[in-house]
Amino acid sequence: MSLEQGFDAGSLYALRSAVAAHAATAGLSPHRVYDVTAVAHELAANAVLHGAGHGRLRLWTRDGSLYCQVSDDGPAEPGDRAAEPAGDPVSWPVVHGHGLWVAGQVADEFRISRGPAGTTTMARFAINAGTGR
Amino acid sequence: MAADAGTQVTELTAEDHACLTFGEAEELFDLTAAFVRDGLAAGLKVVWVSDAGPGPGIAELGRRGVEVQAAIGTGQMTAAGSEGRLVSGQAFRADAAVGWLTGELASSRQQGFPGLRVAVDMSWALRPVAGIEELPRFEEGIAAALSGSTASVLCQYDRERFDPVTLASVAGFHTRSVAAATYHADELLRICRQYAPPGIRIAGELDYQAAGPLALALAEAVRLDGDVTVNMARLAFTDARCTLMVADAARTIASSFRRVTLRCLPEVAAGFARLGLGDVPGIALVTADGR
Repeated sequence: MSLEQGFDAGSLYALRSAVAAHAATAGLSPHRVYDVTAVAHELAANAVLHGAGHGRLRLWTRDGSLYCQVSDDGPAEPGDRAAEPAGDPVSWPVVHGHGLWVAGQVADEFRISRGPAGTTTMARFAINAGTGR
Repeated sequence: MAADAGTQVTELTAEDHACLTFGEAEELFDLTAAFVRDGLAAGLKVVWVSDAGPGPGIAELGRRGVEVQAAIGTGQMTAAGSEGRLVSGQAFRADAAVGWLTGELASSRQQGFPGLRVAVDMSWALRPVAGIEELPRFEEGIAAALSGSTASVLCQYDRERFDPVTLASVAGFHTRSVAAATYHADELLRICRQYAPPGIRIAGELDYQAAGPLALALAEAVRLDGDVTVNMARLAFTDARCTLMVADAARTIASSFRRVTLRCLPEVAAGFARLGLGDVPGIALVTADGR
């Protein structure tokens, strides 16, 4: 089971739909299917808003996990940064990079690599992990 | 009189002959609940004629915080089906239906009520009914009966099921056109005002591309008096940015005297809980069953 799909701002809904279908087929619970879809959206939206404006998503299963990788070939902009803790103690856990923070919270493993060729993000979700975190 | 556009259901007053066109049952029951609630609060007699009959309708009002059993018990409210009031068997006669309405007007006056509110679900007219060509004459008769009275009538038409020709044929007899205030509506997402309980309703899939209309809807929700509900029971997806926007608005509204209810599916609720919203005083995070 694998998926490879390009995206831009106008195709995020279709991307979410495809990711949800594949995550469900991979055997994740409905709650985890939502988590995978949400993370895929955040990574893709990050590429649209702060990267090249478009990118490619790959989804595959291996060794009991579902992997979601998003890559774009644009230069990293200020918005494309790791989550920063909010300075205000009564504010939210993060202010900037909230989408990436969510990805880090709900995925079992989450990595960002940046280089001259662009940015690649990867999230791993254990399959059969119940309802997850 | 031509109908004016964009009247809020909460603005209806005596002599108004309003046409509510709704696109889904949720919208119909929300607007009806507000119409009934405001009528009962003003001490008026309220009559609701629904095609399904009173039972399911009363339950829908209760789900929106409008409890009508006491008013039904005292005679302030009547909830009934269309049979025997608007139609008789498979036959419709405009004169008979208008006669029923004028009878209700006289009855409410005799009972000492200062006015009357009538909500009429017109779905019965979608069935094969003899005499349906008299529908415009019925609407014209309502307009005449309301002139100089202390009554108002809210005619409810399903805009997806009634054909445009029929809707156009009756539109001219209404003085008001009522619909939910809508901030965004397309195939994927609908953001609109909710009237009972007051707040906003978001259904479909929400992401940063709808941040503009969401911000407008939330800003208006913040300005509402009293408790506020953000009804996301049919919101299948929301992204991180919009989750933060709703959370920010909820925290702005919540206080010791104002409560915010966020009603949403468990997966969406988890996003709010992740932000710690479940522990904020004045904010109730209620998981919905998808209805």
